[in-house]
Order: sequence, then structure tokens, then C-alpha cells
Amino acid sequence: MVTESFIKELAKILGRENVLSARKDLLAYSYDSTPERGIPEVIVFPHNTAQVSAVMKAIHREKIPVVPRGAGTNLSGGTVPTCGGVVLELSRMNRILEIDTANRRAIVEPGLVNLDLQNALAPLGFVFPPDPASQKSSTLGGNVGENAGGPHCLKYGVTSKYVCGIEVVLADGEIVELGGNVEDIPGYDLRALLIGAEGILGIATKLVLNIVPLPKTSWILLAVFETLDGASQAVSDIISSGIVPGALELMDKTSCWVIEQSISAGYPTDAEGVLLIELEGLGDSLNRQAKDISEICRKNKMRELRLAKTTAEKTILWQGRRGFFGAVARLCPQYVVMDGTVPRNKMVPTLRQIGKIAEQYKVTIANVAHAGDGNLHPLILFDVNNEQEKKAAHEAGKVILKTCLDMGGTLTGEHGIGLEKLGSMKTMFHPADLAAMHHVKSIFDPDSILNPGKLLPAEEDNSHHERKEIPV
Amino acid sequence: MIGLSSSSARTDLAQRLTEISGLGNVSTDRQMTKTYEVDGLVPTAVVFATTTEQVSRVVRAGNESGASIIPWGSGSKQTVGPCLSAADIVLCLKPINQIIELNTSNFSVEIGAGLSNAALQKQMGKHNLFFPFDPLYLETSTIGGELATNASGPWRAAYGTARDIVLGITAVTPTGDVIHTGGRTMKNVAGIDLCKLLIGSWGTLGIITETVLRLFPLPKVSRSLCLTFAGIEDAFRLVHRLLSSPLTPGAVELIDGIAGRNSAPISDSPLAEDEVQLLIDISGNREEVEWHLKEISALAEENQVRHPTTLEDEAATCAWNTYRGAHQAILSAAPSTFQGKASVPLIRQTDMFKAIKEIGQKYQVAAGIRGHCYNGILYPYVVAGDDHAVNIINDLKKAAADLGGFFIVESAPFPVRKSAGALPQRSDHTLMKRLKTEFDPNNILNPGKLMGDAD
Repeated sequence: MVTESFIKELAKILGRENVLSARKDLLAYSYDSTPERGIPEVIVFPHNTAQVSAVMKAIHREKIPVVPRGAGTNLSGGTVPTCGGVVLELSRMNRILEIDTANRRAIVEPGLVNLDLQNALAPLGFVFPPDPASQKSSTLGGNVGENAGGPHCLKYGVTSKYVCGIEVVLADGEIVELGGNVEDIPGYDLRALLIGAEGILGIATKLVLNIVPLPKTSWILLAVFETLDGASQAVSDIISSGIVPGALELMDKTSCWVIEQSISAGYPTDAEGVLLIELEGLGDSLNRQAKDISEICRKNKMRELRLAKTTAEKTILWQGRRGFFGAVARLCPQYVVMDGTVPRNKMVPTLRQIGKIAEQYKVTIANVAHAGDGNLHPLILFDVNNEQEKKAAHEAGKVILKTCLDMGGTLTGEHGIGLEKLGSMKTMFHPADLAAMHHVKSIFDPDSILNPGKLLPAEEDNSHHERKEIPV
Repeated sequence: MIGLSSSSARTDLAQRLTEISGLGNVSTDRQMTKTYEVDGLVPTAVVFATTTEQVSRVVRAGNESGASIIPWGSGSKQTVGPCLSAADIVLCLKPINQIIELNTSNFSVEIGAGLSNAALQKQMGKHNLFFPFDPLYLETSTIGGELATNASGPWRAAYGTARDIVLGITAVTPTGDVIHTGGRTMKNVAGIDLCKLLIGSWGTLGIITETVLRLFPLPKVSRSLCLTFAGIEDAFRLVHRLLSSPLTPGAVELIDGIAGRNSAPISDSPLAEDEVQLLIDISGNREEVEWHLKEISALAEENQVRHPTTLEDEAATCAWNTYRGAHQAILSAAPSTFQGKASVPLIRQTDMFKAIKEIGQKYQVAAGIRGHCYNGILYPYVVAGDDHAVNIINDLKKAAADLGGFFIVESAPFPVRKSAGALPQRSDHTLMKRLKTEFDPNNILNPGKLMGDAD
């Protein structure tokens, strides 16, 4: 329970201007990018590690729930303060501390926005490969907390591959360094535990990231297909041929239409399936890759192939795909986004099944996918004022997740479990698997004050932070 | 007290093990168990498990009777790193070596952890696929052992380490529970990532029994460049030009004249003691490979390369085998030799290389060096008697720490490993200790390994 005197104590640590508790402020921090809601009792804005540590010591003493938060772009409800308590907002800690291209390292604070780092690296000829679609606003701390993906993870791998060290403030305020600046730090890989732990193990206050040189050249192919089956089969065939594009994104007709309503990326709105394929390397090699890919696509009923070589052309094509979630929100503020990921050979049957589910539940589903990785993002659209539609959307979502698991896949490829998929954890994992995860949790946060009620379904005897149902 | 102390307890344990159905070859005969002696400890029993379920039952039996359990693949890493403090049961996993599911369209394979790396690669090669993971002893070592020890090889430059290419793991916890972590998809963020925790935990948190690996298509074209340099400065100047370029070699390895002196020359020209060689793998489609060869050769010329050689097919395979074989050759040539690992920031590799040489000179011992140049990792081989080893190790630790990295002892004679100490003390040390205790309250799995003795 956050009391007046506790808020005063926080203000003493951080300064009055860095502590918010007015009703309008609490409402502003009650949600993320999902329909989930939960009202915090106070929001704090630390500016450095020492302040995070001091705040955590006070929180730990009082055993108050705390939700670490970056930009709040979370797609699984992970940053919604469902147990009340403190929102610890890290966006003020957004400095680039060091860029060392010779060592291929960037040291940053967790509140730095992904794109801001990319913009600092690009003139030096370097890139931080993880590029979630939200990179314009999402923070690197949040990317680490979710083990974020993005289109380029097909070729480069996900966030965990590019985080070398993490300075962490633990639940009791202690500051520890996990991993470090060099490779193969001996001992258990605690760094990997923190990545993707959705803030339930600790709060990252400093990140040592791996950066790599930009490729010499990149082209984008936009391949337009008569059928969605053809587009997804082309993805399987490209991967099977041994070509590893920089990115391989799939969009269906609904998605292209939605994007064109707000972005005008030049996507066709009458084709059932479109692939956005980025090729990387040098000129001669790109010609070869483009030729091989176009042959594969033609065999799968491709009706048109466009090639973008200039920065301006490439940028607009990427803006379309990256702006998809925003474009949907403009048309339909409430949607359910799925993140099920399947073995790559199961993408065609899974997409077909999703089509059937849409018909069966009478919902509109727009599909985009990091297709090369088998990572699907069906978006189920519904009218928030229509209870029946809302219910159907959620039911369809559950069936889609079940389908992904049945195909040998996983609940989430990059968005996290958060609140939304918590109920499905017991379907995916056995009790012993979850018990091992609880062992880890109990080492880092024995009192369960860090982002309680997320990621791990509560053990029977461990649910002392009740979810507070607060009408918004 | 770790492990069993009384003889009656040992007899009871042997009895319990023979009662586990299907468990082949429970051997308590001392002549047999003696062949599994490690760190001066002879196990009470040696057992061979053929299924995860059997591993689970053995571990449960061990945990209930307080018997320590030493998971054993091919044994190639048993004398690497900190010493064991007890060894009641050696649990051999080699019979768990099936290819459970090969999915050539998903580019994944699920296997029993006792399968050897070489056998896996051979099978995958038939499908034009490979697992880009090439630690030192790959002819014999099991995938399970390689994952448990977070082994790595030259390909890590292009593909990362095991933590980047292992999709899923089935393991038996110290209390005998079977857990599954990860899966078979390319991306997966469901739950806490125990997969990466188990990799590199040296069997102290769980025994890896099955795993799903990410496969890649065999490159269409492969070439290797063998480049000799008069000294380390020239070689690393080239490495740093590569590291800041868009070039993407498959591997960039270093070996000096001393590390190579016990094996055949890698290229036609033998390496002088003060020379160093870079062995570079370039793989991809024809255009990519040609471009890389041209660019890297030009950079090498700028940096005073001697005898540049381009190798392909068998000649390339032979060069890489010789390079890998240098490790065992130098260790076998002088039994007192110890090998360690220094990990430093990329631009500090030249300094670390020089520091190793200076320390060798100070103690008047030969010091050879191998390294993964794209990862900041150098492996010194120091031909030292036991007398100096501790001082040399302390000097190496200090030199690496001064450069912002660390040094640990890997392959070494028992007394050297015993005195070398375990992990560097860092701010996360307490967390690691607590993690071990939480997972393994009776300290039965590989006691003493990785974390050192419980204190």
C-alpha cells in the first residue's frame, strides 16, 4: 500500500518533480499497447542507477509491487500495473554513454529509444540489429526485457545475441553487473535470464550492447502474389533454398489495405499476399539473390515484382510495414495482436487455419508475419462497443494460440507473455518447467514485488499481491 | 560433507541403482570404475543411461541418498576447469544418442545429447545441412557435453555461440525432475530462458539429455585463407580492418609459431616461432566468396602478409584439422603444459598477446597462443613446471584484468587446476551461489565444478 508518507519519501529521493500521483497522471500510466488496464498508485522517474537503487530499497522495505516501464509500447500487457503500487519509469535514463566501434560495443541507459541509437550508429557505419517495429518509440531497456525481435532478426538473431552485459538493480536495491564488456564471462549466464524476463527479475539500468557494421548494400524486393498460400509457400521455398535474406516479411490483403489508408507506402490493395524481402551484401551477390528469389516466387503465382534500390524507395516500403500497428489503431483502436510462432514448415497450414478461424468466429483478421522466422502476427479487429464482437475476438485469439502450439510452436516469439498469455503458460509448460522458473524468480525476487502477476502463473501459495480490478 | 562417506551407504546406493529398470551396465567393479577416475576420485558406480527417464531415476536415487553424480559424455572436458570435490556415481550419457526428429524444412534437429558432434554433422551433411558449432574435440565430444561446458569453435565468429543456435533443451534437474525449455521455433520468448542458463552450467544445475538445434544450409562455396605475418601487430591491424568493414568472414583464427610447433604446418611454409598465422574461413555464394577473397587479400597485402595461401576442398579441411589438432599436440608434448582462456575487449587483443609473451619471458617458459580474433579470446599454452604455474596464472589474471577482461585456467594438470581457483569474484557471485543452492540443495550434481567448493 502506497501511503502519503511513502510518496514523500520517494520525493525526497528523487525530487518532487520526479514523482507523480495525481489522478490524471495515474490514468496516463494505467495502460500499454494492449486493452489491459490497471491503475498505479504512484509513478517515479529516476535519473540514474543510484536513484533506482534507493527507490527499490524503499519499495522493498514496504513490499510494494513495482512495474518497471520504458515507453509502454508493450504488446502483452506486461507494463500494466495490475497490482497498483509503483510504476518505475526509466525514460529519463536515456543517454548514450559510449559508442566504441573498434570494440563493436555501445553502452547505453535503458530509457534510450531504439531508433535514437540507430541514428547515432548509422553515420559511423554501424547498426544494432534488433529492430522491433516499434523502434521509433520503444526503449532498449524494454527491448531487453521482452527479448524483442524485429524484421532483421531473421538474418541477425534476436536481442539476446546482442546484449553483452547488463547492470541491474535487484529487488532489494542491490546493484549487480551481469555479463560484461567481454565475451564468455565465466559462471552462470544470469544475463540471459534477465533478457526476456519482462522485468520480473530485476531492473536494467545500463546495457552493454554488441553493434555490427552495416552491410555494404541492401535492396528491397516487393513480391505481389495472387494467393496467400502462394506467398507463404514462397517463404518456405526461399528459406529451403539456403538464401538468408536480411528480412522476409509477409502481409495479407487486409494488412496492405489498412497500411495504405494511412501511410501510402505503395502496397497493392487487391493482392492476397505480399512479401517484403530485404537483400544484403554486395552488388554482384544481390543480383544473384534477386534472380533466385524471383524464380522461386514466380513458381508460387507471383504476379508482380518490384525492386527498390534507392534509400528513398526503401524507406517508404519499410515505413509501411513498420507503421502497421499504428495504422490499425487509427482505424480500430482496439485489437488483439497474436505473436504465435511455428516451425517454419508449418507456416502455410497455420495461416490457412487462421483463415478458417476468422470465418468461424466471424471476426476480421489482418495478417502480418516475420515470415522467415515463422513468427505470425494475426491482428483480430473488433468494435470495442460491441460486446459480442469483443468476446468473439478473444475466443478466436485463444484458438489461434492453441493452433500454434498444436503445430509445434510457441505462444510468443517476441511480444512476451505479460498478462495476455499468462493463462496459456500451463498449456505450454509442465509443472516441473514452471517450478524451475519459480526457482529462478525466488533467487532474484523472493518477495515477488517486481512486476507481480506477469509472465509466470502464480504458484498456489504465492499470490499475495491480488490483482486489483479498477474500473477505468 | 559432500558425497557418500560410509561403505554401507555405498553398498545401499549400488543396490538402488541396480533396481532401476532398464539401466544397463551398473558397474561397481573397481577395475572398471577406476577408468573413470577424475581429480583423484574413483566413483563407487558407473552407470549408462539410455533414456531421459533413466537419468531422472538415477538422479532421484542419488539425491535421496546424498550421492554425488558426475554426468559424463565422452569425458573430454572432465579435466578442464575447477576440480570435483566428490564423485560417487559417474552417469554416462553416450547411449542417449538418437536423432529424434530431423525437420529439413524448419532447419532443426532434435537429438539425444550423447550424440557426438562429428556423427551429427555427418548425418546432417547428407541433407546438405550443418550445425555451425565446431568446438575443439568435435570428433569425440558429445553435443550434450559441448553445450554443458559452453564450448565453442571458429564458427562462432559468424554464427555466435551455443546460446544463439540451440532452440530447446530437455534436462533432468538435481532433484530428478525432467524439464523442457525452449522449443523448436526460431524465436521464442515464452517464460524465463532456462535454455541459455543450462548451456555453460557445467552440469551443476541439470543434466542435458535431449536438445533441439538450429541447422543451416551448407554454404555453396567455401575457401580458406592462410596468412602469415612477421609479428602480431601486422596480423591484428588486418583483423581490426576486417572488424570495422562490412565483410563477413565465417571464422578468423590466430595461431603463433609456438602453439603450432608440435603439429604439421598449416600451409606449405612452416611457421617460425615468432611468426603468427591467421586462418580465415570465407563461405557463401560464389560472388560473395570472390568479393571477400579479393578484399581480404588486398588488406593483407597492405599489412605485409607473407606467403598468402588460398585453400579449398581437402586442402582447406586439412588446414583446419591441423589448426584444431595443435591444441592436443602441444598439451601432449609436455604434460606440465597448462592452457587457459583470456577474454579481453577486441582492441586489447594485441596487448594481451604481448602480455602473455612477456609473462612467458619473465618465467623463462614457452608460451604459445591460439585465438578467436572476432571474439577477443586468446588461449595461452604455457609450458611450465608446477612450481611456477600459480605465479604465472596470477600474472595472467592480472594482465587480463588490467585490460578490462579476465583469464581462467582450462586444461591443466590436476595440481594446477586445484590451485588455480574457481570463478573470478564479481558482483553477481552471490546470486550464482544462491542459484546453485536453490536448484541443487544437496549439492549432488558435479560438486566443485564451475562454482568451486560450496562455502
